[in-house]
Amino acid sequence: MVHFSGLDYFWSIAYILLTVFSGVLFYRLGKRSGADFFLAGRGLPWWLPATSNFATHTATDTPMWFSGWVYRSGMYGIWGSLFAGWCAISAFVSTRIFRRSLASTQAEWQTLRFSGLPAELMRGWMAGWQVALNMFIAGWVGIAMGNVCAWAFNWPIWYGLVIFSTLCAIYAMTSGFWGVIIADVQQGITMLFIIILVSIWAAMAAGGPTAIVEKIQALNRPEMLNPFHFTGFVTGDYPLLWLITMIIVPFFGGFGMATHSDWFVEAQRIQSADTIKSASYSIWSGAAAVIVRNSIWVIAVLAFFVLNPYMTDESQYQLAWFRMGFEYFPPGLVGFFFAAILAIHFSTVSGILNLGAMYATRDLYNHYINPKATDKQIVRMGRLWTLLVLLGSFFFGMMIGKDVTKWLFFALWLMTAGTWLPNILQVIWWRFNGWGYLSAWVANLGICWLVVWILPAFGILPDLKDFQQFWLLMVLVALVYLPVTFLTKPDDMDRLVKVYVQTRPIGFWGPVRREAERRGLLQKKEEIDLRAEQEARKEG
Amino acid sequence: MAWVKRKWLPHEADEWTKEDWIAIVLSPLSYIFITFGLALSLFLLPSGFIMLAIGLVITVFMFWVIDPKLSSISKEYERKQHKYLDDLEQIQRWEEQK
Repeated sequence: MVHFSGLDYFWSIAYILLTVFSGVLFYRLGKRSGADFFLAGRGLPWWLPATSNFATHTATDTPMWFSGWVYRSGMYGIWGSLFAGWCAISAFVSTRIFRRSLASTQAEWQTLRFSGLPAELMRGWMAGWQVALNMFIAGWVGIAMGNVCAWAFNWPIWYGLVIFSTLCAIYAMTSGFWGVIIADVQQGITMLFIIILVSIWAAMAAGGPTAIVEKIQALNRPEMLNPFHFTGFVTGDYPLLWLITMIIVPFFGGFGMATHSDWFVEAQRIQSADTIKSASYSIWSGAAAVIVRNSIWVIAVLAFFVLNPYMTDESQYQLAWFRMGFEYFPPGLVGFFFAAILAIHFSTVSGILNLGAMYATRDLYNHYINPKATDKQIVRMGRLWTLLVLLGSFFFGMMIGKDVTKWLFFALWLMTAGTWLPNILQVIWWRFNGWGYLSAWVANLGICWLVVWILPAFGILPDLKDFQQFWLLMVLVALVYLPVTFLTKPDDMDRLVKVYVQTRPIGFWGPVRREAERRGLLQKKEEIDLRAEQEARKEG
Repeated sequence: MAWVKRKWLPHEADEWTKEDWIAIVLSPLSYIFITFGLALSLFLLPSGFIMLAIGLVITVFMFWVIDPKLSSISKEYERKQHKYLDDLEQIQRWEEQK
């Protein structure tokens, strides 16, 4: 049980007021148009979406699963957090392509990239799925806050979920993405400051960095400091295949779109940036801030490890970072620490509420129900859906309860494993058509439940580790969408030429490129090279 | 470094070239080196300082290579953006297309 002094109460209340006020302050900008309510007018400099990326991806549950991995596996556990690495390649490939498409959402991209019925089906499916998924994520992050408050203050777990998610819904509803992004900036700065401070305090509590290293060695756990420690290809606590998966999946995923659940959040920020370059830099630097944050967290978690080396209950050692702050900060600073936890919580939940509302409004309401909706109607619908996503998050949050990380890998990783490669193919291969993509999503939905839950329960499939399930799902789903792709016609060439000329995707687009050249929409490559050579000669 | 192009015409910059591939290869490396370099440096381990230094050098070089190209793409593209946005609104309002 954490005890607050008067100063602690002051920090917490002042921070809540500051956040809600700074968000609501942008009420006028948020209500100007649909583009303002969901994309902050598409004119932000790179550092605003970058800070927002960092703040949104630092959620209340993040220090929990990160602490769990590092407490269990030391530096090797950091590889698991490198999923943000998809931004490394995406910043220079798929971000650039998506920004050029100007699609507000990934669902809207479907009707630009594909043609006909499968494009519309994909758009509807993706929009509905995103609304439900964002309710789930807001609930999952919200219940993590509920659990932290239950541990710290002995509150029932629903208190933390309902009270704090409702507070940030106030500015998400009034100011839309303007409120979210401006609040994210001060929240991002606040949380980075406190993350650094906790690590300093934790290191001091454990006797300093060198003492932590010595204590880890004295505990006979030197592998905790070795990120390249392996126990076999698929066996033991440190399998090489897991590490290979953690490198290939995120990094190569950057060639595609929607290869990671975070893509949908980033896609909104990509389109809010004022230029292609700003979009690229915001994605790269936002993820860079995330990986720097992880590195700073390591010292706090390993300090906790040397102070409490024999914990076996995951739900206890997952609280390592929170405990270092609550237990070692002096009175007065504890309240500031709690304010930073609120910042972590608000930034994620407000962004997720706005994102879920965007899919419901832009892709369901405005696309299918009321295509002639005015900006006023779109903003009003956006607010209503922000409220509905909030209410849905309460339902999912209470369903998840105390098993915060149990759902993590299945819901956000394995449930989309079979679509990882199709998500890349839609960007790099012209012949991958809408029917192929749709069949991949449908097949994946059924096969993932079979592979992860149903077949192992009946003893038909052995219990596989999550990274083995990932590769198996990828192969099984490919057995469906590859035949479907080749047995159906390519997408309409007019649509393909349009999307190629506008977005200039990387990869295997030869026939489309030649058609665009034939129509006089693009210069031939040889001509471009020749002209570049002439320019170089002139300069030389 | 003459083999790295630093002046771009807009239509050249739209093509995927070796400068893009340099960024594509170096960017994940910079993330990996910075992550582990910083984590190990905070424990005052020499291997950490070396990895962090490599990560920072890679990052600076990568942006030196890709920045002129991205600037050129952005400049040309943003000029056309308003027209694209208008087209997009037509696609968005699908009933009007019928």
